[in-house]
Amino acid sequence: MIKNLIQKTLTLIVFLLSLSLIVFWLAKLSPGDPLTAYYGEATERMSESQRAAAMERLSLNKPVAVQYFTWLKNTLTGNLGMSHQHKQSVASLISKMWANTLLLGGVSYVLTFAFATLLGVFCAAKEGGITDRIIYRVGTATSVIPSFFTALMAILIFGVNLKILPTSGAYSAGAGGFADRAVHLIMPVAVMVSSHLWYYAYMIRNRVIEELRKDYILLLQVKRVSGARILFRHALRNAMPMLITIMAASVPHIIAGTYIVENVFGYPGIGTLTFESARYRDYNMLCALTLLTGFIVLLSNMAGQALSEYLDPRMRHDTVLREDADG
Amino acid sequence: MDKTKKPFVSTAVLAGIVLVCVLADIIAPGDAARMDFDALLKAPSIAHLFGTDPLGRDLFKMILHGGRVSLVIGLFSSVITAFIALFYGALAGLAPKWLDNLLMRFTDLIMSVPSILFTVSILAVLGKPNVLSLSVVIGVTSWMNIAKIVRAQVRQIHKSEYILSAKLMGAKFLYMLRQHLLPNIMPSIMFMLIFNVSQAIAAEATLSFLGLGMPPGTATWGFLMSLSQDALLTNSWWLVVIPSLFLITTLVCMTNIGEYFRRK
Repeated sequence: MIKNLIQKTLTLIVFLLSLSLIVFWLAKLSPGDPLTAYYGEATERMSESQRAAAMERLSLNKPVAVQYFTWLKNTLTGNLGMSHQHKQSVASLISKMWANTLLLGGVSYVLTFAFATLLGVFCAAKEGGITDRIIYRVGTATSVIPSFFTALMAILIFGVNLKILPTSGAYSAGAGGFADRAVHLIMPVAVMVSSHLWYYAYMIRNRVIEELRKDYILLLQVKRVSGARILFRHALRNAMPMLITIMAASVPHIIAGTYIVENVFGYPGIGTLTFESARYRDYNMLCALTLLTGFIVLLSNMAGQALSEYLDPRMRHDTVLREDADG
Repeated sequence: MDKTKKPFVSTAVLAGIVLVCVLADIIAPGDAARMDFDALLKAPSIAHLFGTDPLGRDLFKMILHGGRVSLVIGLFSSVITAFIALFYGALAGLAPKWLDNLLMRFTDLIMSVPSILFTVSILAVLGKPNVLSLSVVIGVTSWMNIAKIVRAQVRQIHKSEYILSAKLMGAKFLYMLRQHLLPNIMPSIMFMLIFNVSQAIAAEATLSFLGLGMPPGTATWGFLMSLSQDALLTNSWWLVVIPSLFLITTLVCMTNIGEYFRRK
């Protein structure tokens, strides 16, 4: 158990280091002059000595490898550097924003999987029937529509024409109670859920159908166990490890979704921050954000794996067997 | 859902859309970016089949010419994705265990970051986007899942006798890939490749909307859809409905065809 934990922590650290290398290298390749990004127009009026002093201050005159290690050392001590564009420390900017994204992503995540499970089980029960086929068609259509378009339509219908929901931001200026936050979340969350729902519901549907074809279900039916009980207590339960694996794997998908939705709704969060920093080549910010995202994704993958191993010990055994068969 | 039912309708509709886009120069000749100041924001009519936008550009022309760009980006980036995925997956599948582990860890690493983040970073590096750079960017950020399946398939067959005998006779990697691996893998990744085309088209639309797509003037479907913001305010429904109808129909048809290959 402890050996396992140490091994996983080591993997995580190696992963994050490699990720930081890739991101740093990518940022270095970008053609923009970070000095211009920081001082703007003023760079053109600088004398040579002022320029050198500015380079020194931002430690841009050292070799790339040195810059990387300086940055890494700073990062490890919690100093993520300055955002060249906002002229504030990256850490303080991110700390202002991350809770907003967590709220939006978290609520969407929970709702998406709650509805996807219900919808998946429902369609599996009605497999091949008219309801299943209609839901399949509607689901396919909604899942291919890019989420920015759904978001635009939602804004135009509920925000601009009906004027019943706020169109942007996470809270109104001046106010900020729970109800205010909740009202601002309705549209972004609805768009997130509608664009991800069917993708997962369809996977759950197919997995449950597969389960329903097994012999033990037949036995339960012969024993006159009720349909709902068979579905939820038996079929869904056996599909659970797969569901948890999907839930873990879906984290990057959901995060990417929040990026786009945040952007359309002008919701202050990690997503809006990311696009701004990419557009203005603010690479301290971009590195920090990518590392943060990578960290969350890796952590959730590990948690998902551990959880499904706990629920179904065969998962552990399976991977061992598969590895053996591979080699 | 009948397992053997072929997606005739989807194929026909998709073929129709592709055909009118390919033949855009014949069906709707003339410059799609030309502005006609006598016909600003006109509803669909005989003169302007799909109406015009606020700058007097003909929507019918823009959709056909822009659709060509969207479809080319979707196809081209999927070709890039397929190449990388096949090559990488086959390499990992045939490689010794340590290299295989290393390669797979690398895919996990890339997958741990949302692809939109990589896309945006690479586009920031590349500067001004064009058809080629957009396709490359979308292509190199979406090969990981397919590569994993290719690897698993190769792992399954790499101990079979015909692979061994090919190896013994000194077959090169590329020859093995083309002659022995490809025919075996293709059926199982076909549906993923088709889904990939539709995802690439949607990705291009999203990038367009974020202002990271083709330069203004090239009216891809994504660009036209992002115009809906102004369109509903001026009550010009055709600017909202028609471009999105084209995009969504194309994507739904592709999904149906892909779904058929998956079930087969």
